[in-house]
Amino acid sequence: MKIGIPRALLYYRYGIFWETFFQKLGHETVLSPRTNKDILTKGEQLSIDENCLSTKLFFGHVAALEGKCDYCFVPRIANLGDAGRFCSRFEALPDMCSNMFRDTGLKILRANIDPEQNIPAKRAYLKLAMQLGASREQAQAAYEAGMAAQMEDFRKKIKLNRALLKKEGIKVLVVSHPYNLYDEYIGAPIIKSIRNLDAVPICSDGVDPREARSKSTEIARYVPWVVSRELLGAIQMYRNQIDGIVLITAFPCGPDSMVNEMIIRRISHVPILNLLLDSQDGNAGIDTRLESFIDIIRFRKEVEQ
Amino acid sequence: MKKAYLGIDIGSISTKGVIIDEEHNILASVYLWTEGNPLGASKKVIQELASQIDLDEWTVVAAGTTGSARKLVGAMCNASIVKNEITAHAVGTTTLHPDVRTILEIGGQDSKIICVEDGVAVDYAMNTLCAAGTGSFLTSQARRLGVDVEEFGKIALGSKNPTPIAARCTVFAESDLVHKIQMGHKKEDIIAGLCNAVANNYLNNIGKGKKILPPIVFQGGVSKNEGVVRAFADSLGEEIIVDENGHLMGCYGAAILAHGSGIEKPFSFDVADMEFVTREVICENCPNHCEIICVYRDGELIDSWGNRCERGVIRS
Repeated sequence: MKIGIPRALLYYRYGIFWETFFQKLGHETVLSPRTNKDILTKGEQLSIDENCLSTKLFFGHVAALEGKCDYCFVPRIANLGDAGRFCSRFEALPDMCSNMFRDTGLKILRANIDPEQNIPAKRAYLKLAMQLGASREQAQAAYEAGMAAQMEDFRKKIKLNRALLKKEGIKVLVVSHPYNLYDEYIGAPIIKSIRNLDAVPICSDGVDPREARSKSTEIARYVPWVVSRELLGAIQMYRNQIDGIVLITAFPCGPDSMVNEMIIRRISHVPILNLLLDSQDGNAGIDTRLESFIDIIRFRKEVEQ
Repeated sequence: MKKAYLGIDIGSISTKGVIIDEEHNILASVYLWTEGNPLGASKKVIQELASQIDLDEWTVVAAGTTGSARKLVGAMCNASIVKNEITAHAVGTTTLHPDVRTILEIGGQDSKIICVEDGVAVDYAMNTLCAAGTGSFLTSQARRLGVDVEEFGKIALGSKNPTPIAARCTVFAESDLVHKIQMGHKKEDIIAGLCNAVANNYLNNIGKGKKILPPIVFQGGVSKNEGVVRAFADSLGEEIIVDENGHLMGCYGAAILAHGSGIEKPFSFDVADMEFVTREVICENCPNHCEIICVYRDGELIDSWGNRCERGVIRS
């Protein structure tokens, strides 16, 4: 069977697990293309206006899989138990997609992960695998292979950041949800611009998530959201090794609107640039802000020397 | 012939230009409206600058551009340096006011704060998506009240009882304003309330989390409004310095940066007589359909930009 995976939202956290898991079960996986203008436009047309830019892109990516797969995988991932909750929009994704695409013939493959309701990820994935016709042993093996690939990917990202931190030059921690950081229309142009300004961008997801969540309490004792905790933890872990922080938010992200405000107020010794992105075309405003931000860091360093 | 440096700041509303000498003294300056035509406005600025100096005595060896049309005009006048307006303003202001600690700036469509230590900008913030509380907001409210925006400051100073107005969002501010007018509040109180709202909105948004230390310099178009100046002074409890040349800080900084770049490029005042045309090309190489801007001088392509990737490169 061909299983479509939208290259958006939690793909950037669990994508490697998903692909390995389904392939191990003997299915083919089809990934939607990198975000382009067609995907953005389609996503905006499909979505209600109140959704954030990243969620709008998600629907665009689902639409890009129409006719390219037997099932499109849209899990409901509500929380990670004690590690925190995900944005409530993620809980609604399968229902929103079913409704949005009901006349198109696109079939949605669901999974329900909700440790707070006593459905941990492992149980949900084993159930999904067996629904797809696998035996318990096959399901177990696919799950473990997926987890191993996922851990390997985390290790790679951490190793990359360690190497980047040793580089010469201005180091900027780019803090954002991974689905923003790596999206062609949101984070990728920003990371490219930082490089073009001769600075070293360091991505906030290159940390051990467990360690990051525990470190986050040193900045804020209780934040409800998993990813926000990890972003705070990344700041706490890297704050003395970097020259500046760029926060990227996709308008109108609820968790970011609270957490980023707090970061700006509580992290005072590092210059912070807060970039709010909507679907506007053209990067002039962003380039102006990035260029001046890096200039300011350079001036500051010259004074310090 | 003595060396001179030219700086142009092309903003959304106004275009400013200066020529300075090697000691950074201002030899000539111009300020006029952009009127949606950055190339035309810049040509006019260049012409007027030329008329203010003795071209047998001075030769412009480097030009710098800043402001939202810096790239376009930079291509037009063969600039040595094209710099963002925050850096240009910081450099310009700290040259004229070496002891400044905080620069407040409210322009036509954006607002920013720059924190300075020992004459060097060390931190800044700029408005995000929202343009509430900038010059264009005041202009549109002035129109609603049937008052020239230039009169705003004087009228505001006449108020004894400024009306509180919610100015966090332009849309809410408008409905609040209409409500207050219909309730019978006096015009000068409403205008004073708007000025207070602009200052407080700025301090709560742009200025949040920043240490606003004196001396404080306030610049940008809105600094010409005495009502907003007074509101800042009241809110911060500090003296607010408004330089009469405050509007020139961006182009002045650009000229200094052009000097500092060490790159000397021939600049000719003849550009004012040349024909510059821009053409928009949609790249068809992928679904992104990048809008690429091509700039032509007398029919010859001199620069292009706007492509996201190498496939969209258009070469002369």
